[in-house]
Amino acid sequence: MPIRPSPRSHLIPRTRDGWIAIAAFLAVFLFALPPVTHTLWNRTEPWIFGAPFLYSALLAVYVTLIGILIWVWRRQV
Amino acid sequence: MEAWEVATALIVAYLGLTLLLGVLANRRLTVDVEDFMLYGRKAGFIVLYLTIVATFHSAFAFLGSSGFFYTHGIGFWAAGAWTVLAGAITYVLGTRIWALGKAFGYITPADLLADFYESEAVRVTVALVSVVFTILYIQVQAQGLGYIISVATDGRVSFEIGTLLLLIVAAFYLIVGGLRAVYWTDVLQGIWMYAAVWIGALVLAYELFGGPLQLWREVAQQRPDLLTLPGPNGFFTPGMWIGMIVTLSFGIILQPHMLIRYYTAVDANTLKALGATTPIYLMTLYIPAAFVGLGGAVAMPDLDIPDRIFPELLFAHVSPWLTGAILAGATAAAMSTLDSILHSNMTVLTHDVYRRYVRPRANQAHYLWVGRLFVVLLLAVGYVLTVSTFDLLVVLITLSGSGALQLLPSVVGVCFPTRRTLTRAGVVAGIAAGLVTLYATLVLVPHPLGMHGAIWALLVNMGTAMLVSTFTAAPSSGTIQRVHGEVETFVYGGAEPHARATQGNPAEQ
Repeated sequence: MPIRPSPRSHLIPRTRDGWIAIAAFLAVFLFALPPVTHTLWNRTEPWIFGAPFLYSALLAVYVTLIGILIWVWRRQV
Repeated sequence: MEAWEVATALIVAYLGLTLLLGVLANRRLTVDVEDFMLYGRKAGFIVLYLTIVATFHSAFAFLGSSGFFYTHGIGFWAAGAWTVLAGAITYVLGTRIWALGKAFGYITPADLLADFYESEAVRVTVALVSVVFTILYIQVQAQGLGYIISVATDGRVSFEIGTLLLLIVAAFYLIVGGLRAVYWTDVLQGIWMYAAVWIGALVLAYELFGGPLQLWREVAQQRPDLLTLPGPNGFFTPGMWIGMIVTLSFGIILQPHMLIRYYTAVDANTLKALGATTPIYLMTLYIPAAFVGLGGAVAMPDLDIPDRIFPELLFAHVSPWLTGAILAGATAAAMSTLDSILHSNMTVLTHDVYRRYVRPRANQAHYLWVGRLFVVLLLAVGYVLTVSTFDLLVVLITLSGSGALQLLPSVVGVCFPTRRTLTRAGVVAGIAAGLVTLYATLVLVPHPLGMHGAIWALLVNMGTAMLVSTFTAAPSSGTIQRVHGEVETFVYGGAEPHARATQGNPAEQ
């Protein structure tokens, strides 16, 4: 694969906010993936706000991820 | 009035509204390809928000997701992960695609890739993948429409006639109003479908169980197998979970009807705002779908076609007026995606094929009429496909998303500057190897080792693209610096994309 003179890699963040955004999103996203989903979250009890645990835990993960995206947008990362 | 008469009347009223919006959009239309195909690149936050969410969510979200919860249980709540990921992709990838589109006048995804990789083979490959795999998507939506009409009229209008009728309505407003008509109807459809699915699910939950909390308790008592992974049929294995998240986020975003939407934004901040906030709509639409599917498994078990659980429950337990309004919402969900796919395929065929290879120097009005003819042709092809095959919606949509996913390495290669660049031969070889692997891992030996076939295909695609790129010629330094320089300036330079006049317009060359 030829090496060309081009701008610095965009695959690695260059700012502090960029690092925080990537690290936070990826870290929280891991909680929406196996093995966490198929082990830690994979049960109905304890029920949270009347919903089974798996459902509520994932909902909390998704809301957190949306929160991170909104923070990223507000900071214009 | 009988229930089916009320339901049918409300759907007809809804269709009348969409036709009216198409006619109104026609009055604003100018004889300009960018206006017809890209809304003049002036779409603001509200219009673009509703068209993106309405297009992302389709008959699949309204009917297929309830059917999936009904059959495979809570595992379909993975949907939340792929909708949030779709927002992140819009934020990171969508803004770069927008910047390059504005700077260099791209109209289609093939413009972006063919310009960077300096290859007509790339253009043709991308155009083919775009059209072939999204025609499957037309089939998905048209089947959804056929279900809805057939159920709403209590079988008095057949699946085939219902499908044809709604295809014609969608094609009509696209032909008269272009992308503006699609966007305006999507605004109506996006609001209607969201309200319809939530109201319908809550009414059913209270009617059948006394509320959502009691619904959960009843499901836990009667069908506990639906509330844990991998579900009653063992479907949601870890590999399938990951595969569906990747396929239904990247795979849908990379389809031409979604990529073209990025070009239409008025500015980059609009797209960033969309990336941050569209997951709220996209994810929360699956909450009521869970109520319908899981509650339906208890209230109406042994349904022959699980995708019909929502309309079947409505007709059995909800007033005709509300049922009609909600089924019109389901119609909106299917039509908002269908019209977008018809539009994007029309754009690809007109711009990447006809304008490039058949008649490069015609006037704008000529291309508009050719585009309209392509819509009629696509309508006919989509209709024939729809009435000749009959598969589960989710299977079809997964196949569709899996195909578009094969564009990921090449798109990332354009939008994310690195020191090593993929080559045109690498990109074409990667896509070809990915598609062959996709066929093998979805059809011949479905999902080997419990991993979704699309992931296998993507891995083979990436490996092949990188390997072939090691031995073949990269794009010229000038092109790499022009395109990657634009991305660098956009992301880190804080400047708006350069004016097209100073950069040239490769899409129109």
